[in-house]
Amino acid sequence: MAAMQRVAHSNVTTSGASGFASSCKSGGASASSAEVGVHDQFPAGLRVLVVDDDFTCLKILEQMLNRCRYYVTTCSEATVALNLLREKKGCFDVVLSDVHMPDMDGFKLLELVGLEMDLPVIMMSADGRTSAVMRGIRHGACDYLIKPIREEELKNIWQHVVRKKWNENKEHEHSGSLEENDRHKRGNDDTEYVSSGNEGSEGILKAQKKRSNAKDEDEVGLESDDPSASKKPRVVWSVELHQQFVSAVNQLGLDKAVPKRILELMNVPGLTRENVASHLQKFRLYLKRLSGVAQQQSGVSNTICGPVDPNVKLGSLGRFDIPALAAGQIPPQTLAALHAELLGRPAGNLVGAMEQPALLQASLQGPKRMPVEHGVAFGQPLVNCQSNVSKHFQQSIIPPVEDVSSGLGAWPSNNLGPVAPNNNLGAMSAQNSNMLMDILQQQQRQQQQESQQQSLLSEPSRSINVQPSCLVAPSQPSANFQAGNSPASVSQNCSFNRSSVVDYSLLSPQSNNSPLNIGQFSNGALKSTGVLSGYSASGSISPSVSSCPVTVDNVGLQGQTTITFNAARQLPGTVPSMHDIQASYVAKRGEVLDQGPLRNLGFVSKGTCIPSRFAVDDFESQMNNLSHGKLYVENNRVKQEPSVEYMDNSRAGVSILQQFSSNDGTSVFTE
Amino acid sequence: MEVGQMQRRLAEYTKSLFMEGILDAQFLQLQQLQDESNPDFVVEVVTLFFDDSEKLLNDIARALDQQCVDFKKIDAHVHQLKGSSSSVGAQRVKNACVAFRNFCEEQNAEGSLRCLQQVKQEYNLVKNKLETLFRLEQQIVAAGGSVPMIESSF
Repeated sequence: MAAMQRVAHSNVTTSGASGFASSCKSGGASASSAEVGVHDQFPAGLRVLVVDDDFTCLKILEQMLNRCRYYVTTCSEATVALNLLREKKGCFDVVLSDVHMPDMDGFKLLELVGLEMDLPVIMMSADGRTSAVMRGIRHGACDYLIKPIREEELKNIWQHVVRKKWNENKEHEHSGSLEENDRHKRGNDDTEYVSSGNEGSEGILKAQKKRSNAKDEDEVGLESDDPSASKKPRVVWSVELHQQFVSAVNQLGLDKAVPKRILELMNVPGLTRENVASHLQKFRLYLKRLSGVAQQQSGVSNTICGPVDPNVKLGSLGRFDIPALAAGQIPPQTLAALHAELLGRPAGNLVGAMEQPALLQASLQGPKRMPVEHGVAFGQPLVNCQSNVSKHFQQSIIPPVEDVSSGLGAWPSNNLGPVAPNNNLGAMSAQNSNMLMDILQQQQRQQQQESQQQSLLSEPSRSINVQPSCLVAPSQPSANFQAGNSPASVSQNCSFNRSSVVDYSLLSPQSNNSPLNIGQFSNGALKSTGVLSGYSASGSISPSVSSCPVTVDNVGLQGQTTITFNAARQLPGTVPSMHDIQASYVAKRGEVLDQGPLRNLGFVSKGTCIPSRFAVDDFESQMNNLSHGKLYVENNRVKQEPSVEYMDNSRAGVSILQQFSSNDGTSVFTE
Repeated sequence: MEVGQMQRRLAEYTKSLFMEGILDAQFLQLQQLQDESNPDFVVEVVTLFFDDSEKLLNDIARALDQQCVDFKKIDAHVHQLKGSSSSVGAQRVKNACVAFRNFCEEQNAEGSLRCLQQVKQEYNLVKNKLETLFRLEQQIVAAGGSVPMIESSF
């Protein structure tokens, strides 16, 4: 290691195959990379920074990248690379980093790069274990290459640069006319940053503003960028410092984490409130980006799992006749618009689809009951819910669960449910991330659970409305549809609520699963993904939520035994829309909020799987009973034909909804 | 020895390295990366690999010699050796590293020592073989011939 450090500075070498690699001028980068994809010779000249402590690999990579006609800078130390990136902001398009490095863990570098600059980072390692890859993804890596790396794998890395640009552009467009753009974009790529779309245009604008602010700050004081800078005006956030910062934030809770309090907790001499404030801002952006990544990943998995395109599904959904939203409170168009806004999905379809028919019966009930008690009833409703739920579970749920578990295999139960709750608030990303989270969970349950606890503590503020949520056990439908789903829904609730735990015990036979779910959730909150999901969710929610004591979201997932994954995947997609609607609804109408938006979102991943199994069920949501007015239960009547595809389902309309609802437990969020 | 004969000998020799599993397809990748702009690429990379590996092997030996063995550290070294050996196509070294890491995980000092010997042995083997290979190539070049491109058919 000592040897490494000695060579540190001489280690940085740059070579470029083609002449037009732009010289480093700060500020120039964004311009040049913005044009990426336009240049004739693209991707020649792509500016790549390679970080690896292994000189052999470094040399090989350099040559490979040169042959791709990229403009290559190599660096054998992560800390040096980080300084280089800081000093020459905008001089690189993409970073290729080893995972295991003596001076700094590659994931740390990844995290810091994600935090400070918006660059795509590709991780590489000889360690190809799923857990390692997953860790990379979770930290926001846009790709993970397993050594030995072949030239063919490097030829394609420019795509990450372009994708990132596109997604950023998409953000801009989002803030404009959401619906149109979404329709186009969706078809092409569901990738990162979708999450920001979920937050609605307001959120996006804010995010952009924040980002530009952060950039400004970065520009200032570039000169004084120096590792030993604690006494200088500009603070360099070393790994240790950042870790202190993160633990302080975790301790406080993301929402309650204000610079002053963080500063107190960190207790670092020389650090100013402004330093912390700036870093906090970046940290939030970083979390947001992570959620985008998570989404992207989920999207990928989707496609893999199922032939059905999520987007397509949405469209089909639009067609569904939803038996009236009783409320009429929300005009279809509004819903659609909101939905589009939040989800970034094509609104048009939805609108068409929703013929007044209420999506949820719940909605009907909802209006009446909702106004009732906001804060007051919470405790009680929960109790009721639980009892009801538990019954349901036992009766209907259990059997299905068993099936599911057997069918699904490793990831099964977790996938579906957990995200949804988060989503309530419109966090699509959360849903997407579920898969990841699930996987992670399994690996790190303990950790998560611990973290969860923390998250619960810390998050309250954020999730204010959400926090104490009661889980309502999935109603009967769940039994029929999927065992897996029901657990999922439960888990979601759990994550938010403390009470949720209780719910679980009461509710679920599936309790086994539930812990996992919980764990996942917590992870999300604490960890990057988790955080993101939580974060984004809260963001969208908070505005509207604050006023409303109770929001209920039920997300129903239907898992087909085999397709569990798909279901989960798809579900998120569909669900979000539902959620969005609600969320948006709430947001726009503060009053409404008070009433408490209730939602059960049912997702049917693929009609095919589910239908076959379930003949026809009219599900009544028992949920309603449970919650005093607060809970809205959507009853979906599902009439399904077995092999119907998504499209088919859509026509079935009602049936589809049912599936959704059935899957879902009704979750109640109480303040 | 005439050039043609030397070339045939080189081809035979190279083939044997692959047949014995000492090298794998990644080594071919290296050879394909060598071009006019970088005529000594393979030799340079392999030399780097030798330097690195020897340093790592020494570090590992030293770490294993401690009273209190830091298996995490050893594992990190072995991991790096695995990465570099796989990057040059030194397959048997890489495989030995994989086994080594298992013992590290078990915190098995005795097994680790055995693995270290195994890795060293494989490393020395591939080093000798590659040095011979390079020598043959140099002889051919010195005799005015060109080094035949290796076919990936074996």
